[in-house]
Amino acid sequence: MPIFEVKDLRLHYLLRYGDKVHAVDGVSFSIEQGEVLGIAGESGCGKSTLVNGCMGLFIPPLCPTSGDVLVEGESLMNRTPKDIRENVLARKVSIIPQGAFNSLNPTRKIKNFAADLINSHEKGGDKKAIYKRLHDRFELLGMETDRVLNSYPIQLTAGERQRSVIGISTLLNPKLVIADEPTSALDVTTQKAVIKMIFDLLERKIFSTMIFITHELPLLRHVANRIGVMYAGQIVEMGTAEQIVFDPRHPYTKALMSSMLSAEPDQKQRKPVTIDGAPPNLVKTIAGCRFADRCKETREECKICKQEIRIVGERLVRCQYAA
Amino acid sequence: MLKKYPTTRYILRSGGWYFLTFLVAISVNFVLPRLGKANPVDIIIAKHGAGKTQHAIQVKEEGYLKEFGLVKLDPDGAIVRDADGKPVRSSLWSQYVSYLGMCLRGDLGTSFMNYPKKVSEIVIEAVAWDFALQLPAIILGWLLGNILGALAAYKRGVFDYLFFPLSLLVCSIPFFAFGMLLKYQFGIVWPIFPTTGGYASNIHYSFSWEFFSNASYYYFLPFMSIFPVLLGGYAIGMRSMGIYELGTDYIRYASYLGIKENRIISYVFRNAMLPQLTGVALNLGNMIGGALIAEIIFSYPGLGTTILKAIQGQDYTLIQGTALLVAIMIIAANFTVDIVIAIFDPRVKAGMAGA
Amino acid sequence: MKLLVNLLKLPTFVFSVGLLLLTIFLALLGPFFYPIDVISKVGPPYMAPNAEHLLGTDNLGVDMVSLLIAGLRSSLYVGLFAGIIATAVGTFLGVYAGFKGGWIDDLINMVTNLFLVIPTFVVLILISASLTEGRSLELIGIIIGCTTWTWTTRSVRAQASSLKARDHIALARVNGAGTLKLAMLHILPYLLSYVFMVFIIQVATGVAMEATISMIGLGPFDTVSLGIILESAMNNDALNDGIWWAFIPATVLLTVIVFSLYTLNTSMETVFNPRLRK
Repeated sequence: MPIFEVKDLRLHYLLRYGDKVHAVDGVSFSIEQGEVLGIAGESGCGKSTLVNGCMGLFIPPLCPTSGDVLVEGESLMNRTPKDIRENVLARKVSIIPQGAFNSLNPTRKIKNFAADLINSHEKGGDKKAIYKRLHDRFELLGMETDRVLNSYPIQLTAGERQRSVIGISTLLNPKLVIADEPTSALDVTTQKAVIKMIFDLLERKIFSTMIFITHELPLLRHVANRIGVMYAGQIVEMGTAEQIVFDPRHPYTKALMSSMLSAEPDQKQRKPVTIDGAPPNLVKTIAGCRFADRCKETREECKICKQEIRIVGERLVRCQYAA
Repeated sequence: MLKKYPTTRYILRSGGWYFLTFLVAISVNFVLPRLGKANPVDIIIAKHGAGKTQHAIQVKEEGYLKEFGLVKLDPDGAIVRDADGKPVRSSLWSQYVSYLGMCLRGDLGTSFMNYPKKVSEIVIEAVAWDFALQLPAIILGWLLGNILGALAAYKRGVFDYLFFPLSLLVCSIPFFAFGMLLKYQFGIVWPIFPTTGGYASNIHYSFSWEFFSNASYYYFLPFMSIFPVLLGGYAIGMRSMGIYELGTDYIRYASYLGIKENRIISYVFRNAMLPQLTGVALNLGNMIGGALIAEIIFSYPGLGTTILKAIQGQDYTLIQGTALLVAIMIIAANFTVDIVIAIFDPRVKAGMAGA
Repeated sequence: MKLLVNLLKLPTFVFSVGLLLLTIFLALLGPFFYPIDVISKVGPPYMAPNAEHLLGTDNLGVDMVSLLIAGLRSSLYVGLFAGIIATAVGTFLGVYAGFKGGWIDDLINMVTNLFLVIPTFVVLILISASLTEGRSLELIGIIIGCTTWTWTTRSVRAQASSLKARDHIALARVNGAGTLKLAMLHILPYLLSYVFMVFIIQVATGVAMEATISMIGLGPFDTVSLGIILESAMNNDALNDGIWWAFIPATVLLTVIVFSLYTLNTSMETVFNPRLRK
């Protein structure tokens, strides 16, 4: 049984005056234990909304329209916020947030913040036992554990803060970890260090399954087993990492790949190509293919295309005309 | 050595700064009244000299001149006189120095209206009443206001929708106007509470239970003139701060981690408290001032009523003395808030430790 | 213009502006609709409200409605005057301190701290001895303005120093723009909306301050203001005798002014702030 499943999930935001933004419009995938699924897409494609959905955080104005999210077979829909807070968050599904180094409470020592996490999910913690637990876990992250645990965030370097956040997020050994743009806004060296740390933890079985979200497709090749490409609230292509990066079939994926600079030796000479236009406004229902107005291979039929998912060359593609 | 104790260092530096401000307050107290050409002693004598013999007036006048440091004194303390037997006026600078000396010694001169009672005596008595009134009002108002504000920020919804305009309305009413309304409604229309003074005229001023229970009866309306307005103001400030904090990354992360709601509210509280305390410091001057004026409505025996009587009676030394003491109260209050901030802000500590 | 349209969409904005305009119209246009006479006695002292004089008379027998409208004018005038001075001084010092930083910042901070600690009415008390005559509305306004600018300075300074760190300032500097030009062209436009909001608060402070000062007898000479109306109510024992029209209408007016200004400020915050914060 897959450890995590999303079934035709549709989520919307309620705006003033009754408008709805359909930020996630029919996303499905499943993840087996031990897999890393990469999700790639531009800003505004619905990644953040999807993240909230995957954690069961349906807090107004975000509301579920239809669909299901299952962790180890258990649905996250129609549960009280209290239930989600106590049983799902940080225990079953955990997140390493974007801008992790800003995510720590500036007036709380690391050890106390981590203890808050433990105490919110488990009863009756002895202070010393908790500290030992933190100590052992943080040792794995390769830091000066005692100093870091007893510091305020402001006294740590950005790298230390990042690692602390990763340590805290994985403290309760969640089944699924969602890494939300963990490498954006970092320099290349730190990026590498962060990725190395994440995979270190994976190897040590601190957690086993991950969703890695980023807008940098080429990065996912080294990191993910499978990749799903998102556009305008839908998955437009899903396949293995090699397939997506080296042999994209959907016009959007192709455009995305060619718009990126790559340090791969074979791709260095190529000039990046921009994708003109902007993602569609998701308040109105869109007839036809959402990418049609920016697609380089568009045809008349695309305007009324039903956008069903086909299997093309062992991957799922949401384009009727992909080869 | 002091580097090891950043908080202490901060407090000492702060204290030194406030002492400087104290000196400036004394100087301002000295300079401002002398901006006009009139000699304060002439004004006094003109006011209070009616119906006295020439000699008596002269004795009094010279007594005041001496006290004000307006005349030169010889080594024996007697007034230096010129050829006509008139006292020689001292320079502005030596007047200033003698005034400074007097203040630092705690001698604020003698009141005219209440001659020969010393100003310092009158003022200290009044300050005790002020302390009793304002300190609890400010502290309780701040604490409760912050709690309500944080709740409003977290819950939003209907609670906020009603709460917010109501607080804004209440904090728009000046203390004394609110006092007037309360006095009218609860002291006169419905004679539940006494409306004048600090305690009934037939009770003795003592440390007895009888006195305290009677005084609290008189205390209630003045307290309620200040307390709700303060509460409203602080609640609004905290609500804005709270809304801002709730949008920060770290709160979002904490909610993602499923940390308990009460805990998250305490984060918001703790982090918003410090800017709030700074906000208190900014407002302290006007707050204390406003509260003093509110006291007037009830003839509450604090500095407010003292100032009013002094102004109406043109009791020069008393006016100066009370003005100085108000400044001292505010300086002390600001300093206290600074100390509290220093003790509680880990960011200050971390900053000082050279992170 | 688009800003105005956005603002008008907010019910709080419409409400507060409406309330404020109502008050201002009452003050400015009142005299055209109602004969203002603050001198002649139209009845016995503290005559109760009746059909002819809707709010009765004061302790001298003068028509209360006239007093209120005249008082409203004065209070608004002082508030505006003080508000303009306080905002001007505060903004200038705040921008200068926040933008320049360094020792100028420290110096201005010290001065601000000094003024923070010495409240307006203490200054007024001390000056009053040398000013037994000539306490005009303007003078009161000046004194209030010169002692209440501290809050503005602090707020504006915080804004200015955060703006200073922005990229487009660095760019302009690289292009050789001098300090004054930088301040005028690049910072002020962003600050304008903030300064306007601060100005509103300062006017409210001015109005409230004038009332407070008048209560201890240090208000403007020979004029009527809302504060003076309240002062005479207190001095003539109006409360004890149940003469509610001597002070309740004035209190209401005072509260309405301050409340509408505060609400206006809050409603504008929701529109202005997102832009400024990022």
